[in-house]
Amino acid sequence: MSDLHETAATGTEARAVAVRRRLTRPLIWVAAAALAIAVPFYLEGFWLQTGLFAMSAAVGAIGINLLTGSTGQLSMGHAFFLAIGAYAYVYFSADPEQGARQALGGLGLPTPLAAVLAVLTAGVAGGLFSPIAGRLKGAYLGIATLALIFLGQHLLFNATAVTGGYNGRAVPPLHLFGLTFADTPALVVMDVPFGALERLWFLGLLLVLGAAAFARGVLRGRPGRAMNTIRDHEIAAGVMGVPVARYRAGVFVLSSMYGGLAGVMLALVFQRTVPDYFGVFLSLDYLAMIVIGGLGSIGGAVIGAVFVSMLPQLLTRYSDSLPLIAEPGSGGVSPAEAARILYGAAVVSVVLFLPGGLAGLFARLRAGGGGRTGRPARARGLRFSSSPTPTPSPDTRS
Amino acid sequence: MGKFGIRTGAATMAALALALSACASGKATGGEPATGGDGVKTGPGVTADKISLGMLTDLTGPYASLGKSITQAQQLYFEQVNAAGGVCGRKLEGIVRDHGYDAQKAVAAYTEIAPKSAAITQFIGSPMVTALKQRIEGDRLLTIPMAWATSLLGGQAIQVTGTTYDIDMINGVDFLAKEKGIKSGDKIGHLYFEGDYGQSALNGTKYAAEKLGLTVVEQKIKATDQDMSAQVSAFKDAGVKAIMVSVGPKQAASLVGVAVAKGMDIPFVASNSAYSPQLLGTPAAPALLKDYYIMTAAAPMSSPLPAIKKLVADYQAKYAGQPVDSGVGAGYSAAVIVGDALKQACASKDLSREGIVKAHRSQPSWEGGFGTPMDFSQIDRPASRASFITKPDKAAVGGAVVFKEAAISDLAKDYQVPVG
Amino acid sequence: MITFLELLVNGISIGAVYALIALGFVVIFKATEVVNFAHASLLLAGGYLVARLQPLTGFWAALVIGVAAAAVVGAAIEFLIIRRANVASHSVLAIVTIGVDIVLTTELTRQIGTEILALGDPWGDSVVHLGEVTVAETRIVALFTAAALITLFLLAFKYTGWGIAMRATAEDSETAALMGIRLGRVSLSAWAVAGALAAVAAVFLCVFPTPGLDRGTSLAAIKAFPAAILGGLDSTTGALVGGLIVGVTEALMTGYQNQLAFLGRGIGDVAPFLVMVVILLLRPAGLFGIRETARV
Repeated sequence: MSDLHETAATGTEARAVAVRRRLTRPLIWVAAAALAIAVPFYLEGFWLQTGLFAMSAAVGAIGINLLTGSTGQLSMGHAFFLAIGAYAYVYFSADPEQGARQALGGLGLPTPLAAVLAVLTAGVAGGLFSPIAGRLKGAYLGIATLALIFLGQHLLFNATAVTGGYNGRAVPPLHLFGLTFADTPALVVMDVPFGALERLWFLGLLLVLGAAAFARGVLRGRPGRAMNTIRDHEIAAGVMGVPVARYRAGVFVLSSMYGGLAGVMLALVFQRTVPDYFGVFLSLDYLAMIVIGGLGSIGGAVIGAVFVSMLPQLLTRYSDSLPLIAEPGSGGVSPAEAARILYGAAVVSVVLFLPGGLAGLFARLRAGGGGRTGRPARARGLRFSSSPTPTPSPDTRS
Repeated sequence: MGKFGIRTGAATMAALALALSACASGKATGGEPATGGDGVKTGPGVTADKISLGMLTDLTGPYASLGKSITQAQQLYFEQVNAAGGVCGRKLEGIVRDHGYDAQKAVAAYTEIAPKSAAITQFIGSPMVTALKQRIEGDRLLTIPMAWATSLLGGQAIQVTGTTYDIDMINGVDFLAKEKGIKSGDKIGHLYFEGDYGQSALNGTKYAAEKLGLTVVEQKIKATDQDMSAQVSAFKDAGVKAIMVSVGPKQAASLVGVAVAKGMDIPFVASNSAYSPQLLGTPAAPALLKDYYIMTAAAPMSSPLPAIKKLVADYQAKYAGQPVDSGVGAGYSAAVIVGDALKQACASKDLSREGIVKAHRSQPSWEGGFGTPMDFSQIDRPASRASFITKPDKAAVGGAVVFKEAAISDLAKDYQVPVG
Repeated sequence: MITFLELLVNGISIGAVYALIALGFVVIFKATEVVNFAHASLLLAGGYLVARLQPLTGFWAALVIGVAAAAVVGAAIEFLIIRRANVASHSVLAIVTIGVDIVLTTELTRQIGTEILALGDPWGDSVVHLGEVTVAETRIVALFTAAALITLFLLAFKYTGWGIAMRATAEDSETAALMGIRLGRVSLSAWAVAGALAAVAAVFLCVFPTPGLDRGTSLAAIKAFPAAILGGLDSTTGALVGGLIVGVTEALMTGYQNQLAFLGRGIGDVAPFLVMVVILLLRPAGLFGIRETARV
């Protein structure tokens, strides 16, 4: 936090803070990494799967946060790009099969190549939409992208040779460096049986880190500043020489590719693609994630994704020990309903009371906990304030 | 950046240390079948005094009414069995998970409860079952889907009860030809849902139509469509003499209401999911009472069969004031099927998953008193080919009465069911 | 030909209902620049109240109460949430309305549970014969009600003080405020009006050709999104035209499904969205929308 070094503390105090920071930060990282690595050795499949869904959601949410949070473009069509990613991976990697009722096409490419191509395909699909994505802004684009959802559903159900129709298709497991990401062949690491979920866990972690790092690079560089300017003041951006339409279209493509990657991850975890899943509610979930987590921030996207994907699972799992929530089937507010109400309410209350989302809250708590009082609730929520001053890039930490 | 190397190194070390101690983690012990004190081999979901049964249902989504009835009926069965001493000296316990008709939640719920279930007594939603088909087969977990699509046939572990949708439609077309004057050269309409429910049913209609020289006029809709005016116009324009209905109750009501209002005096033959007694409280009631028939493999709740009479009485006693719809029968009989498989498995002293599936598949003519006998020994054929023809009735329990007793039509007898 | 006419009339009449919903969006958008995704839940709330009250009070009283209640719900959303959210971007407000929608819809569907609620309307399942074309009476009523309401609004926008305040706000809210227009009142009234319109639309979506109100009813509101945007989010005329285009497209594509089988079955649901995309490609602000121009 270079800006803080300069402004807040002086002299020895500053040095002490800096030293403490230098010592504690790596420690936190080490602890987090160790925890992440240890998880598959301890937690049962249910938690791993929930975690993997959250990781896939995190990648998708980072993507849509670039578009909506950082550039101010609303998209209700994110689920479409997840679908493209998932189905393209299956199509590229599966061998063609001649079923009894329907023939399924496939290219039988090596699976890592298929995964990369699937992400690119999602990007191309986003690019095809760019005549619209570049010209429309804000809510207009939001509704226009609804068309993608309905078109996508229509294609998924009707282009049976590629998608398998309503049945969906089995997802070929990924083979990478001689390791197969499936339950067979059996693998036992330190006495713990390593099935598909355990193996995918590590891959998922790497992909989330990679996706976050890349987005960070984008946001901190020139493109990030241009995107924020478009969001905050489109005309000013144009005057300063930012090609607004090209940027909008470009960010849309990038966000589509993130969606595609999330789709590939999801397909690998699901082990089967199901067309119904990629509907309008999935898109709404993503919008809820980035608002709850914190618009425009990468950490926020990840936190929001974890929150939205874990909440229903947690409530279902512990419904018997939570007050007000009824056991499924016994009448009263069921866990699934409670989860939906909670997360709807979370979206509203974050905007009302928590500018900056959960990420902003954590940042403030951390600042408070680090012995530094009086740090203004500066915001990572600048995008929420109506101040007309130019917005600094969203992440000024070093 | 040098620091970064040290950090990662440290992280790896710490992780390795943690991982090494993983031998102490609960996951390290596998869930292999063991043999209990009573000489019965047990598997996941079976302990010395308890058998856990999973229920993957929809209590908050579009099939909530069905899900609630099924779940309550199955809970009722567990209670009755437990009151009578349980199975194999063990109490039955249901684990309910609501997926709200969402595939991701269903997959998550399956991952959670599969390791601790001996069987799954209900799994609502063919898209959800399809999504998990491979894993269910891999886990050898006896599962009763509450969906009757042909795509669910062909596996050892998944047992579709009764007829599949296509068999019902074949019997229905046969009924139209024999009693409603539909003859070669006529056109019949089929309104169906996108998805395997509609598609399976359509396959049956197409097969029967081809055999009888009829032409099928197709209209596909989505579950979100509400108003069937345009579809009726198209059917009327084509001059159909009868309409097959494989959609939800609401769309069926709209279809029949509009058609009758437009003066189409034709019979309607519906799949068992295209009717709900609640429709009789809506303006569509007179049209439904007129010439609407529902094909079903299970006897309606108003049937005089002793098993069903007892079920209705018990259910009403336990859940007073709640509707007794077809879900009650479907849920209860599915629970009985699983219960019987457990009893069989107990007799051969093998309550492992493998043992339960094997015991279940050893029954070529199971008869629970719910209408038609079922053959569980063939994995690539429907358990039954006989359909009841029922008719809506305001006064009857469950809102439907038997119009014709269960029978297998000649067309259905020779029909090769597409599998998978 | 008769089929065509029948489909056309059906399409126009359901299009009129979509137009009512779309008009609600447009009114809110004009007054507050917010795209209200909670519209579906307003619709459900209005319909639900009418359905629940009608056995007690009769249809007409229930209708009045339901419409008034939906207006109150709309106003409450504005007063309690939209007004208090200090947000620069209207996209964020749009997401907030999604949150509101999720909460309201979840609770309402929980209340509706598994029932199909009949509305007890006086038209029942009677149909009108216009030559050989048959149309449900409810649809004729819907058409005339929608036409009357929309005309009323067009006139109100032009001639009443409220309408002028609304138009001035849409034009330039800061200047309007300086001229003494109370922005809060304008936006509150816009939300109330939108709620009332949604409740009226809900009634027509739940009567005859459909058996009643159930948990899926709110999904019909999704079809009003393309209606609102292809007409132009800031144009009341656009809402009317957009609604009609969506209704007619949907009806014709569905009715001629067999002739259009090469496009895949079930194209009727997608068609309105495809039309919307094509129109947006040609006119990014919609058919009647005013293209935003800015001077620096």
